[in-house]
Amino acid sequence: MEGKVEERYGEGYLEERKLVPRWPAPWPQIVNTIFLLAVFYVTWWIFQDPRGWMRMYTPYVGYMYTRWTLIVLIWMVYVYYYWPFRRHQLDNWHPVLKGVVMTTVSVIILVILIKGFFEGLLGNLSMAYFNPHQLTKLPGVTEFFAIEYAALACLMFAAIASWLSPSWPVAMEMAPWQNLKQPALGTTVLVVTFFIGTIVYFCTMHPHMGILYYPWQYFCSIAPPYWEKFADTVSGNFHVAWIMCCTIIVWTYESIWERYPFRVIKNDWTRRLVAFFGIIAIAWCCFLFLYFAQELWWGPAIRGTRRDAAPDWRWLHVGEMMVFFLLPALFVTFYCNNWPRKFSIPVNWLIRTLISIAGGIAVYWLYYNISHLVLGTQKGYSHPQQFPMIPTIWLINLMLINHWFMDNWPGWKKVNAPETVHAEEVET
Amino acid sequence: MAEEEKKGLSRRDFVKGLIVGGAAGTLGSMGVYSYSPWRKSHFAKAAPKNIDIGECKSLKITNISETSWFDNKNLMGDIKGAGGLLVNQYTYNWPPFAEKKGQLGKGSYEKGIKEIKQWLPNHLDKAWQFQVENAVHPENAGGYACLIDVELLDGSRKKVLLDSGWSFDWTEKCFQREGIDRMLARREIDCLVISHEHFDHFWGFPVTVKYNPEIPMLIPEGFYTEGLQYIKDCGYRGKLTVVKPGLNPLFPGCATYVFAIPIICRVYGEQSLYFNVKDAGMVSVTGCCHQSIIQFAETAQKTIKYKKNFGVYGGLHISPFEDWDPKYDDLVFALKKYNFEKIGCNHCTGIVCAKKFIEAGYPVVRGTARFRSKDTAYLGNGDTIEFKAAG
Repeated sequence: MEGKVEERYGEGYLEERKLVPRWPAPWPQIVNTIFLLAVFYVTWWIFQDPRGWMRMYTPYVGYMYTRWTLIVLIWMVYVYYYWPFRRHQLDNWHPVLKGVVMTTVSVIILVILIKGFFEGLLGNLSMAYFNPHQLTKLPGVTEFFAIEYAALACLMFAAIASWLSPSWPVAMEMAPWQNLKQPALGTTVLVVTFFIGTIVYFCTMHPHMGILYYPWQYFCSIAPPYWEKFADTVSGNFHVAWIMCCTIIVWTYESIWERYPFRVIKNDWTRRLVAFFGIIAIAWCCFLFLYFAQELWWGPAIRGTRRDAAPDWRWLHVGEMMVFFLLPALFVTFYCNNWPRKFSIPVNWLIRTLISIAGGIAVYWLYYNISHLVLGTQKGYSHPQQFPMIPTIWLINLMLINHWFMDNWPGWKKVNAPETVHAEEVET
Repeated sequence: MAEEEKKGLSRRDFVKGLIVGGAAGTLGSMGVYSYSPWRKSHFAKAAPKNIDIGECKSLKITNISETSWFDNKNLMGDIKGAGGLLVNQYTYNWPPFAEKKGQLGKGSYEKGIKEIKQWLPNHLDKAWQFQVENAVHPENAGGYACLIDVELLDGSRKKVLLDSGWSFDWTEKCFQREGIDRMLARREIDCLVISHEHFDHFWGFPVTVKYNPEIPMLIPEGFYTEGLQYIKDCGYRGKLTVVKPGLNPLFPGCATYVFAIPIICRVYGEQSLYFNVKDAGMVSVTGCCHQSIIQFAETAQKTIKYKKNFGVYGGLHISPFEDWDPKYDDLVFALKKYNFEKIGCNHCTGIVCAKKFIEAGYPVVRGTARFRSKDTAYLGNGDTIEFKAAG
């Protein structure tokens, strides 16, 4: 009796695939870096650059699409395991074809999400501030700021989703639904994380939106927001910052930390819960420390002022700094096979962490010295319309597309059958 | 080893636990310490510099124009159409740098100035007529400028023109309305201070040059090549001073301060003024105050020798487009701490913000809403404000 082979879609695909470098190191790393930066610059010019074609860096519109693209990619790969793409397609399609097709699908999902769900459904049937057209009905609000405010609301939701969506697969290991098949599993996790995200949104971001309009919407949201005394600001940037720290720690935990140290906990539910809340605890430590670091560097924040002395900007900048650390961490995992691997786990963990911190500082320095020359942004640290998270997340999105959809093409190739390879360079 | 495992914990596991526990403890302590009151002991405590800029007796400010543009919807529509708040202002095809049949966001300084250079600075009507026919929304251009008339302790007077508007047509009419044209022609105004390179403060520069091409002029460091070239192309022949970031005393009781800050529409650097009024206190006069009025007041406290804050005049750059952000509420809350006794705000302060100031009980000086100013909540075109000690 022959049983029917069950379709696995992309379950375990990232762990099981074998990627072989086409050339000895460091050429694959160099080639992929050049490839990524070239694609980054071309797409930046087309979509985002204030001197370019579509100029979506208004800034909030471009910012929103960049963040939601990240989340859609996470949904496709980590939540839905590439469903509805079948395993033989993942195994046999050319990386470029996979990259084009899957990226196109992600864009379609993105447009449906923004235009259909946020602007169409929520913006027309629940909270008007998700829909630019509804906002223009408010006296004095111009079309430009109506679009910006609506984009701001969507991207604040995105900040939460970018933390919770990967948290469930990474920290909670999809439990308790891990035995479901796709698409039931993905849909369940998506609905659960969206539900939790909505509660977090109401408690962290909605009060920000409630005082965005004159007069304050006392009967619609808590005004002034409850975090005012603790954060020294009524701005929701306070929450954006710690949530971004959670996002970065989730990915650090998944990439260069290889789920260490929480993976040593043997009891499943203890490990999952400790990982989920441990990530939040680590994120809060980083969050408070990086704010303190700014106080040491620039002096204490002054409430009510603007730019680099303002508490709201300082909180936001905490999140921005964390994203700078994520870039080298992902590079080490995706393109350096999580180097080093030869020491004990804690030592490897420590070295990679130090590399990411050093790399993050280097990228930070580079960004603030050249971004105004190449990205069309403004020089200086605290331009009110400058968000370094836009180019950094844009680049991370491209790295994810390259690693998840394109099997690290062109520097690497995927081998399906045993093949002569440099054993130490095979990523499994 | 097996024996150790039987005992329940190997040496290796113990060391690993120690490392992880130590790391977690360090991280946790770092996090807690970073928000604790103890962290404040690490902050550098720089003593105030107490630089003496002298004192003046009083100052009277005439609002020549605070209406930089007349229709927010058109202005923001242009900004949206051109690609947002980071787009280079010289590419908008706004007046006076329109090319023939200029299209939004497709222009440049070079193409624009070529069309009008021949008429600068003495035939501004012809230059403006070209803009009316070719620019994007020429009817929306207004401008910002004010005259600061200072009485020194010895009874002599100094006059400072802060900024030079935007539209040639509007700025010239406003100058004529307030007699600025005649003062410039008679060399009664001592200097022109340009607060920053924004279109509404600087692009009307030829109007000043028309009446006094030799007036001493101070601009903040950070002007782009287009702005520096425009000064030359206008026919200016006076002494140009590019002020570096920091304090720059002008005459007894008066100093400018330049902040090296990035500003929307690709502008960099802002210059504002301090006046130390005898027996009254410090008066802050600003063009747009992109650095924030609280930063400006804090800088005075750290830098200048004076008794107390007294007054404010100018744009405070809070809701210039009648937009809002909760961080602006932080300013409304925090301003109380600085005890200003007289607030003469307008322009990019925004009407919403002026109303919030009034609701918060701040001493906002009301205006008359004449000459196209929109609301009496703040000082409008043609209004004046005086700062001097009581009695």
